[in-house]
Amino acid sequence: MVVYNFKKIETVPTAADFIDVVLSKTQRKTPTVVHPGYNIVRIRQFYMRKVKFTHTAYSEKLTQILTDFPRLDDIHPFYADLINVLYDRDHFKLALGQMNIARQLIDRVGRDYAKLLKYGDSLYRCKTLKRAALGRMCTIMKRQKGALEYLEQVRRHMMRLPSIDPTTRTIIVAGYPNVGKSSFVNKVTRANVEVQPYAFTTKSLYVGHMDHKYMRWQVIDTPGVLDKPLEERNTIEMQSITALAHLHCCVLYVVDISEQCGFSIQQQVALFDSIRPLFHNKPLVVAINKIDVRTEADLTEAERAALRTLETNGATIVYMSTFTEEGVMDVKSAACDLLLAQRVEQKMASTKVESVINRIRTHWQLKTPAWVNDIIPEIMDGKNIMDFVDPDIDRLLAELEREEEQRVELAEMEAEEQDEDMDEERVEAQNTVRALAKSIRKKKGILKEKARMAKKNNHPTLSRAVAARTKSLGEFVEHMGQMGVRTASKALSNLRGKATLKGGADALPARERRAATAGASTERRGRSPTRGGDEDAMSTGGSSYADSMVGHKRARGDGKKANQVPRDRSSTARDAAKVARSRSPSASGLRDEAQQVKLLKLGRNKAFKMSKNGRIESDRRIPDLKPKHLYSGKRGNGKTDWR
Amino acid sequence: MAQGDYIELFRKRQGRRFDHEERTRKKEARGNHLNSAIAKKVRGLKAKQFNKKRYAEKAVMKKKIKMHGERLNKHQVAEQRDDSEAVPAYLLDREGMSHAKVLSNSIKQKRKEKAGKWNVPIPKVKPMGEDEVFKIVKSGKRQKKQWKRQVNKVTFVGESFTRKPPKLERFIRPAALRFKKAHVTHPELKATFNLDLIGIKKNPQSPLYTSLGVITKGTIIEVNCSDLGLVTPSGKVVWGKYAQVTNHPENDGCINAVLLV
Repeated sequence: MVVYNFKKIETVPTAADFIDVVLSKTQRKTPTVVHPGYNIVRIRQFYMRKVKFTHTAYSEKLTQILTDFPRLDDIHPFYADLINVLYDRDHFKLALGQMNIARQLIDRVGRDYAKLLKYGDSLYRCKTLKRAALGRMCTIMKRQKGALEYLEQVRRHMMRLPSIDPTTRTIIVAGYPNVGKSSFVNKVTRANVEVQPYAFTTKSLYVGHMDHKYMRWQVIDTPGVLDKPLEERNTIEMQSITALAHLHCCVLYVVDISEQCGFSIQQQVALFDSIRPLFHNKPLVVAINKIDVRTEADLTEAERAALRTLETNGATIVYMSTFTEEGVMDVKSAACDLLLAQRVEQKMASTKVESVINRIRTHWQLKTPAWVNDIIPEIMDGKNIMDFVDPDIDRLLAELEREEEQRVELAEMEAEEQDEDMDEERVEAQNTVRALAKSIRKKKGILKEKARMAKKNNHPTLSRAVAARTKSLGEFVEHMGQMGVRTASKALSNLRGKATLKGGADALPARERRAATAGASTERRGRSPTRGGDEDAMSTGGSSYADSMVGHKRARGDGKKANQVPRDRSSTARDAAKVARSRSPSASGLRDEAQQVKLLKLGRNKAFKMSKNGRIESDRRIPDLKPKHLYSGKRGNGKTDWR
Repeated sequence: MAQGDYIELFRKRQGRRFDHEERTRKKEARGNHLNSAIAKKVRGLKAKQFNKKRYAEKAVMKKKIKMHGERLNKHQVAEQRDDSEAVPAYLLDREGMSHAKVLSNSIKQKRKEKAGKWNVPIPKVKPMGEDEVFKIVKSGKRQKKQWKRQVNKVTFVGESFTRKPPKLERFIRPAALRFKKAHVTHPELKATFNLDLIGIKKNPQSPLYTSLGVITKGTIIEVNCSDLGLVTPSGKVVWGKYAQVTNHPENDGCINAVLLV
């Protein structure tokens, strides 16, 4: 359940602040002391670290901004439209797009300069390169001044947006300006909306909450709307239109009967007609307000006719006065009941209801509900009911159970006697059946346990499509073998084509590949070990996985057999390229997954060594906490404790 | 006022505290003392930043004060005299320009002509030794052969460049130091463009560098300026033009150049 409040968006600093924050962070968190006498590798490392640190600091902050702000395509259409009305969708998207571009540019600068620094041959050169790198990153940010300012303003405004839940029970109050919408909301909720005797006092959406039938209800006060075409409406009016259009709610259309708001009843009815498309499929209540000034009896015939047209359009008309509080509760309950009825109806129509409805208990229902209160008579059909209640039924039951046990024992003894008579063959047959049953039970248990493990909630799950793609041919053959189906390699040639297309060489699980490498790599030159393993699993078509591995060894010398299944080389090459392209830039130059793993390992080893040697610098590092010369050997001068 | 603007709402309903105006005035007045106290106390990088900001503020303030203090009619007086008196027709032309200016202009013109056609923005460059440009790469089984060189400066290699086989490659030009674009400033338009490199015309350091495509300060490069839309007197579009590199590309990570026109 998504909760829409935008209060958690972090502050967007101005361009100047952004630069200050990042640069001072770099200054604080990276070492500051370097001398030209240092080893050049160390100098390079020193400056490279600065460049990389600034780069990550910038991209982290930009990523934060990009993830914090909502993506208009992902959020509820009500909020998407509200943001469009208030901040202009294009401008919003453009500003976020700018951030994204800035992040990409900074990434590129960081990467380029790290590369250039590798060839720095003096401290001066490294220093100037670092300076240039940081300068370029800051320049990129400086150009985002406008976008950052805009985003900060949007953030401040979004923080203050009322948190409207688009899915809950909602009543929207709409109507001309100054007809008493806000007064009604103030009466039924604690929203504390400002009420003034002039038009457009309410300039934005207000939300209040109330209780009805032990449920929470959300009441949304909207700014007044005027009767004009949609294109000419201003931002204030558009907010009400957005709310009416996107929220599933009960619409409470307020009409001012006294015409003090400056619009006649006919005009108010006309507005109702013009925005009626927005009320489609929603329960409608027309609240006629200010009856303390002018009552229903004072209406002229024309006005009555106009109000009658509202009723024919499916609206319920209720009279109220927010001043005297007369009829306010009627309006509230009418609106709530209508909406509740509709929501229940919709829920009943949906498929979800199935899971709930069988939880409702229906037993103990009598044929006629009136019987519930009947008293059980003492005598029925001339017989005493108590005579038919057995006092020692418990004892009888216990007896019965004892008898049954005895019978079972007897049956077993008889069976043993019979066993001895039975001939050898039957015993053997029975044993095999038992063994089979045992193995079935075992397998069932394993499957059950596996399913239970897979069901456990706290781990990432693969979608079925992805899981299918990761399965290899070897696994398939193994599985089929276990099921007792011998898979011929010829029959599989079709399938193999598919498998290679999907995953390329990566389709094999790592375990299998490793095994294959151990066997085949020494003897086959110029052919990838994966291919060997894959092929053999195919060619043997054995009943189990172990079988296929044995077959693989046999096939080593046998070229013909290995070549039984032709392999489409070109397609594999293409797929590898495709896979390489789809990866992240850090892995783009690598051939396959194995290489990626290897790279990771190499990197880790290197980092470990470096940290072990204390090559990672910091300003206050003590290179050796226990220098050997102070802790070993003879004490030439003094003793262990003092020197 | 939106629903969440509770501070504004409070102010609207309750007003500010009775001494708000006085407090803000005093706070503002005390601001200068506070600033100078900070300036005394602050150290290190913070001090540098603070002083820079303060210096900029003060410069603006001084400029403003100076502008207020300046006489407004200083320049107008001289001109007005010209208008007031009637001048004979044969003297009309001479009034505008002072004698000294004419003289200096003509001297400048002469100097320009004398300098010849091929003067460049940076006529002289600091010589660069081979040990600075090339790094010796050891090779061979025992790492004792030293005939390989790695170019340590920014280079330009053509589009269809492929490396020689490593066994024979004498000069290694690392991929990270190969550049394809340069920021070229048009001196008359006073605008800078990011243009493609076409080739190296001449590296003043040595003909070897020219042939290797090494770009250092002062190198004449050829750039693709077809995007600029320059036209020759005969009406053809110019697409290649020479430019001189004005920075140390190896130190800045980019090539800046001035177009030779």
